[in-house]
Amino acid sequence: MTDDVLAHIAATDPATGLRAVGALHRLAERVEAMHVALARQQGWSWEQIGDALGVSRQSVHAKYGK
Amino acid sequence: MFERFAGSTRNAVRYGVEEAQRRGDRRVGTDHLLMGVLRDADSAALVGISIHDARETADALDRKALVAIGIDIGDFQPAVAPRKGIRTPFTSGARSALSRTLVHTTAEKSRRILPQHLLLALAEREQPDAAATLLSEMKVDIPELRRRLSGDRP
Repeated sequence: MTDDVLAHIAATDPATGLRAVGALHRLAERVEAMHVALARQQGWSWEQIGDALGVSRQSVHAKYGK
Repeated sequence: MFERFAGSTRNAVRYGVEEAQRRGDRRVGTDHLLMGVLRDADSAALVGISIHDARETADALDRKALVAIGIDIGDFQPAVAPRKGIRTPFTSGARSALSRTLVHTTAEKSRRILPQHLLLALAEREQPDAAATLLSEMKVDIPELRRRLSGDRP
């Protein structure tokens, strides 16, 4: 019981919880940047990358294109 | 707004914007402004910490928060590609700190807005502000820092 309760308490502190949300977003941005580059290296089109991410071709291209 | 900023202060803000983009944040916060100021050697010496310390501390805070919600990313630390062509806005805290900077410039009767004025504004921030959190985590003595930055004025 102790571990679960402690874990729950730690997670319910909003400063920590909200920081975790920010950290997840930052992590997602980094993974996205890394794998968009890899996808382009492997010949994926902006449209295919956009579809994989659930965003428009235009927004991916604006964000990562030259 | 940036016309009276000294070159070094303008650089600090620009580095702060870069830092936000590099970290993958949507807005430039007081923590990014702090990191931007720390790129100035004199400012870093005044605070007693380096930009590298600040970045590592921010990363460590992220990790701790993720662990608290049950996510352990271990050593995973992918490099970031900065966002291109996107104007990154400031957080409300950062905008507050920037306008407070001018108050310190005026108090010192300085003609130019110097990095130390921005640092004073950032040192005034209170938790849960991002810069305050970062400074606290790095165990920076805030009252001592404020004394150093403003001389012996109250």
